[in-house]
Amino acid sequence: MKKRLRQVFTWLMFLSVFVTCWNLTTTKTQAKTYQIGTDVTYPPFEFANDQNQYVGIDIDLLKAIAKEEGFQVHIKPVGFNAAVQSVQSGQLDGIIAGTTITKERQAKFDFGTPYFKTGVVMAVGKNSAITNLKQLKNKKVALKTGTAAASYANSIKDKYGFKTVTFDDSNSMYQDVKTGNSVACFEDQPVMQYAINQGMDLKIVTKAANTGWYGFGVKKGTNPELIQKFNAGFRKIKQNGTYNKIINKYLGTKQNPAVKGKTFTIGTDVTFPPFEFADKQNKYVGIDIELMQSIAKDQGFKVKIKPLGFNASVQGLQSGQIEGMIAGTSITKDRQKVLDFSEPYFTSGVVMATSDKGDVHNLSQLHGKKVAIKTGTAGAQYANSIKKKYGFKTVTFDDSNNMYQDVLTGNSVACFEDQPVMRYAIKKGTNLKIVTKPALKAPYGFAVKKGENKALLSAFNNGLKDVKANGTYDDIKAKYLGTKKDNNAAVSSNDQDDRSFMGLLKQNKDALLSGFGQTMWLTLVAIFFATIFGILVGLMGVVPIKFCNWLSSTLIYVFRGMPLLVLALFIYTGIPSLTGQKIPAFIAGIITLTCNEGAYIAAFVKGGIEAVDSGQMEAARSLGLPFGKAMRKVILPQGIRIMIPSFINQFIITLKDTSILSIIGILELTQTGKIIIARNLEGFKVWTIIALIYLIVITLLTWLSNWVQRRIKG
Amino acid sequence: MSARIKVTDLVKTYGNNEVLKGVDLNVNNNEVVVIIGPSGSGKSTLLRTLNKLEAPTSGSIVVDGVDIADKSVDINKVRENIGMVFQHFNLFNNLSVGDNITLAPLQLGKKDKSAAVQQAQKLLETVGLADKIDQPVNSLSGGQKQRVAIARALAMEPDIMLFDEPTSALDPEMVGDVLQVMKNLASQGMTMIVVTHEMGFAKEVADRVVFVDEGKVQEQGTPEQIFNQPKNARLRDFLNKVLNI
Ligand SMILES: Nc1ncnc2c1ncn2[C@@H]1O[C@H](COP(=O)(O)OP(=O)(O)OP(=O)(O)O)[C@@H](O)[C@H]1O
Ligand SMILES: [Mg+2]
Repeated sequence: MKKRLRQVFTWLMFLSVFVTCWNLTTTKTQAKTYQIGTDVTYPPFEFANDQNQYVGIDIDLLKAIAKEEGFQVHIKPVGFNAAVQSVQSGQLDGIIAGTTITKERQAKFDFGTPYFKTGVVMAVGKNSAITNLKQLKNKKVALKTGTAAASYANSIKDKYGFKTVTFDDSNSMYQDVKTGNSVACFEDQPVMQYAINQGMDLKIVTKAANTGWYGFGVKKGTNPELIQKFNAGFRKIKQNGTYNKIINKYLGTKQNPAVKGKTFTIGTDVTFPPFEFADKQNKYVGIDIELMQSIAKDQGFKVKIKPLGFNASVQGLQSGQIEGMIAGTSITKDRQKVLDFSEPYFTSGVVMATSDKGDVHNLSQLHGKKVAIKTGTAGAQYANSIKKKYGFKTVTFDDSNNMYQDVLTGNSVACFEDQPVMRYAIKKGTNLKIVTKPALKAPYGFAVKKGENKALLSAFNNGLKDVKANGTYDDIKAKYLGTKKDNNAAVSSNDQDDRSFMGLLKQNKDALLSGFGQTMWLTLVAIFFATIFGILVGLMGVVPIKFCNWLSSTLIYVFRGMPLLVLALFIYTGIPSLTGQKIPAFIAGIITLTCNEGAYIAAFVKGGIEAVDSGQMEAARSLGLPFGKAMRKVILPQGIRIMIPSFINQFIITLKDTSILSIIGILELTQTGKIIIARNLEGFKVWTIIALIYLIVITLLTWLSNWVQRRIKG
Repeated sequence: MSARIKVTDLVKTYGNNEVLKGVDLNVNNNEVVVIIGPSGSGKSTLLRTLNKLEAPTSGSIVVDGVDIADKSVDINKVRENIGMVFQHFNLFNNLSVGDNITLAPLQLGKKDKSAAVQQAQKLLETVGLADKIDQPVNSLSGGQKQRVAIARALAMEPDIMLFDEPTSALDPEMVGDVLQVMKNLASQGMTMIVVTHEMGFAKEVADRVVFVDEGKVQEQGTPEQIFNQPKNARLRDFLNKVLNI
């Protein structure tokens, strides 16, 4: 009874506190209702919906910010010009009306954080072949009076030689293009995008020109706290995803049910900063990764990013191990024969870089010299295409870091690399300099296997449009290339890292531990299966059956004779091509090691058995013991004593051989090293650490081996 | 009384090397047959075909009415009844003296553990090694090893025993103990086929001496006939060599 009372009392207390709080907050916000002016109708920024409620990007955005910051807004659709005047006269507190931030307006208004990037685009009929301005020559183009798009079109109409037809409203302008009377129209990008999303049969074919930013404005010098609240709330809704939700609601493409909710495995390069690399926490980041993730989020599918390396990814696509690939892949004719590409998401070009102390400045100085390239890259392709002309030789590397090192050590005089990659590396302290203008301007594309995964490809294209529209794309680019605002925070923070051995060890402790764990796990699992396989094959070599003997020798011959690297690649990429069945990298790794190490084990199992005096077998058989029993009770116990040193030796070899599996992207110790170096470019120190880890483990194993051998002898 | 072992026209070739060129040989129950002959004449090969450690190339070997050349015959069953002692003992190096002896009876389900151990102890007593049951085999001398090997063969309770030069690898002072064990066996009525260069043993123990040369039985008879009235020229030649050193 007492307990009950206390409970009720507690609840009452709680309730009263809650009610008080509620009152406090409501009174507070009620006091702050801001009057905000907006345009009458400017879809998708402000317009009345079917229920005659005002909606749109501007409206939703402001409401979300107000909610976040605990103030209230009253939105008045008074029209653009009226809103501007009312704010100046103090009748309204602010304006949000698709207002472009201009110098003139900044003289009269204080603007909050720019919230939307806009620009003029050209749209054509859905089936039109027109893709650029040059094709407009002598054709008719539709415009809407008094818009920014119309003034842009008029400014370039002489240059491109087209005629204009003018309309009073957007819809008539679109219809004119649809009927084929005009071949194209110019329009603000979000407005055009929204119309298309609403079912208008047009398509956008140019990049946004005359770009500008929309801002929320108050009268200059008044209401600074409203701007502060707007900025604070804007930051929050950007972070919590509300912003993207609002933009996507109006400008987003429809999510394709064929991809929705599905998980796609996407291959990427291991070391191609700033497009993909592991950060300090050894999480994969980079332009490609973040772009892929935000597109996936936008389109409602999931991705599993696999840093397989560039070549392994291409092969992975071919064999169906992965569904897509985003790895700074230039769209080339050759690649288009086997891959289908998305719309370009980035334009790169090949530059030549030399040591910053070097005196090579142009291609003609390369005559008779060595140049470093990275396999399978556009840089390599470019270098190979001009090497005859300029008379240089090439050295090929599998990753960028090794290529840079080759130039830094003076072994090669220059390297060819994609411009953004090179820039990023230099920014991060690689002592190279770019000496040529970008050549072979190359658009990067997301790729799928030719003719397959069409839904994924179109979802990528749609998502790309969306993230461009909602600014995510620009944010990502700015983050890694530092083209805008917060100048490469990711980069500078890295430079303050402790680069001593202990510092590197501390920063990468988790990654190294997990890589080491993976190496040990691979070794143990592999040695387990290899032992079973090896003993079976070894025994097949000694049973008195000719066919088994032959099979045993053949297996040993084949798997011992094949380089481990080739075997790994064959199993990982070849088998799926043959069977259409995917193999996870770890399983492929285990199969590889089982076959290879197993063959060695088989050889010494066979040898160990054969080393047992043949009289032992004869004596056992003469007593009437069957072959199997004689083997188990007499021969194997003696053979195993002979084999044990070889077993331990094989264990050590297997441990070392796991490093080769980094080629198929298993995140073991060596691969972990590669990834860490790709980020911090501390090749020497990190490889020293990795080498020491291997050495320590192998030393321990050697001690164990010696101890066991002493025990057997004694 | 019919023959326990009946070898007819036995031929054994290794590649192009015809080692046995048509051997005929009968062994009767309780008989002790000693095979003599020069080195490389095929004595060991003949002995090893009798329990099919070597498969005959042609001809037949009938043991107790069973042709062991026949593929359908379970050779392991036949071997259980034919003990064999090797020149180099071939004791199982991974097992103790006792375990060497008990391995086959236990593995083949012939005896349970305690019966097998008891039997091993008894056999070791008969070969004069009663205190060695727990020793590792490597601690024994050659003569001791060969006696353990005999005990091991006897553990399967065979009634035919094959000996391939059981004393050739022994120091002279060890030979006597081993021969003594064999004599005891013979006196108990064991059917024995013994390849040996111990002519003294042949004279004293053998019921019949068989002289093999060039892959054939050249002459056979009682020790008296073979050693005192040899007819075959090769035999005479051989005896000259081995007896007059
Ligand atoms: N496994 C084999 N493979 C090939 N040739 C063999 C094999 N075993 C024996 N031979 C050959 O057969 C011939 C007879 O050998 P075997 O061992 O039977 O002679 P032996 O009469 O026992 O001689 P020793 O008195 O030296 O023991 C020899 O020429 C030998 O080289
Ligand atoms: Mg011999």
